[in-house]
Amino acid sequence: MITARAGLRLVQHRIAALRRAVLTEVEDINRLIYHILRGGVIVSVAFLLFGFILAGVTGHPLPDKSIPPRLLGAELLRFSPAGYLNLGVLVLIFTPVARVLLSLLSFLEERDRAYVLMTGIVLTNLLISVVLLA
Amino acid sequence: MATVEVLLLLAVAAFLAGLAGSYLGIGGGIFLIPFMTLALGIDIKVAIATSLIGVIATSSGAASVYVRDHLTNLRLAMFLEVATTLGAIAGAVVGILVPNVYLFLTFGVVVLYAAASMVRIAETAKDRAYRGGEEERPLVKRLNLSSVYFDQEDQGVYRYRVERPGAGFGASAAAGVFSGLLGVGGGFIKVPAMNILMRVPMKAAVATSNFMIGVTAAASAFIYYSQGLVNPQLAAMVIVGAFTGTNLGTRLLVRSKAANVRFLFSIFLAGLGIAMAARALGLFGGVL
Repeated sequence: MITARAGLRLVQHRIAALRRAVLTEVEDINRLIYHILRGGVIVSVAFLLFGFILAGVTGHPLPDKSIPPRLLGAELLRFSPAGYLNLGVLVLIFTPVARVLLSLLSFLEERDRAYVLMTGIVLTNLLISVVLLA
Repeated sequence: MATVEVLLLLAVAAFLAGLAGSYLGIGGGIFLIPFMTLALGIDIKVAIATSLIGVIATSSGAASVYVRDHLTNLRLAMFLEVATTLGAIAGAVVGILVPNVYLFLTFGVVVLYAAASMVRIAETAKDRAYRGGEEERPLVKRLNLSSVYFDQEDQGVYRYRVERPGAGFGASAAAGVFSGLLGVGGGFIKVPAMNILMRVPMKAAVATSNFMIGVTAAASAFIYYSQGLVNPQLAAMVIVGAFTGTNLGTRLLVRSKAANVRFLFSIFLAGLGIAMAARALGLFGGVL
């Protein structure tokens, strides 16, 4: 359980760092992007680690397949290793998307129309490819 | 399914892919997919899905550091992401219409050409510096694409001007097509496109490419995820391995000489071009 506590402390540390970043360094978009990208990976790893610990403690089998997002909630409530491993993977996948959203906000704040438009197109493309190919 | 040996080997491979990926501005999928299918005997679709996860981990890990150090050109990245995401959508369609042989042959030739031109011309401090005289292109001026970066190699601050925005946009769209087709990041096209066509200094090109790759991979990764093709055990190994690798790779890049980065990148491109052409022509039993 030492690793779990260390992992939790790491997450708390990240969240605190992100908070500080939001409060004091809003003007520096680079710093914010750094915390979003790095924080995303660390939170993802924390969930993965928690999933492996759950598997070790409860003896539940490790999953071979990804769980569709709509079934994920139930798995998380049951504290199954599969649920938390999948959550970790999903957090990682959405980290770059969160970064694009942050870019959109920063361009909106700068009132830079051309870049707001471009970021909007990128977000739309991401949505289209998800809808088109799913 | 996966044995402990397979999981550990995968973590080591992902570490190396993350290291090379963050140093060269690529996602590393180009190394991971063949390793998983050939050495570990993982099914190709599962391998692509796992590799996409690794590409996102590499991109996020590396890009965060480069953005903090102001190596990344955020505006240029946003501009080219429009092309890569459009290309990725087209890639899914093109992949059905055009036989893969032509795609591999075309990309093989392009990549070999890029390798040759990067070896021939070494990037000096003079190349990196802002070239006065002629006017900036209207689009570059309008979108404010030119930028500044700090190079630790010679402790210099370089202001650079972005050129040929149209050509760079087109090349990025092609990179998007390829990543939509194969589930790779497409950095092997983006880096030379920025460096050769748009005349972005090598380190800034690597950083900006790393930054863009994650977004392209995220859309495809989500699709593979909802199809149940992501194996969370394999994904976990790849995430931890790749992220650890980027922590070393990013440190190496900021200290390296740009000329060395370019040289290593061109070697990587040459190998890749030969492998692609061989695959198109059915040499070596189509293994590569």
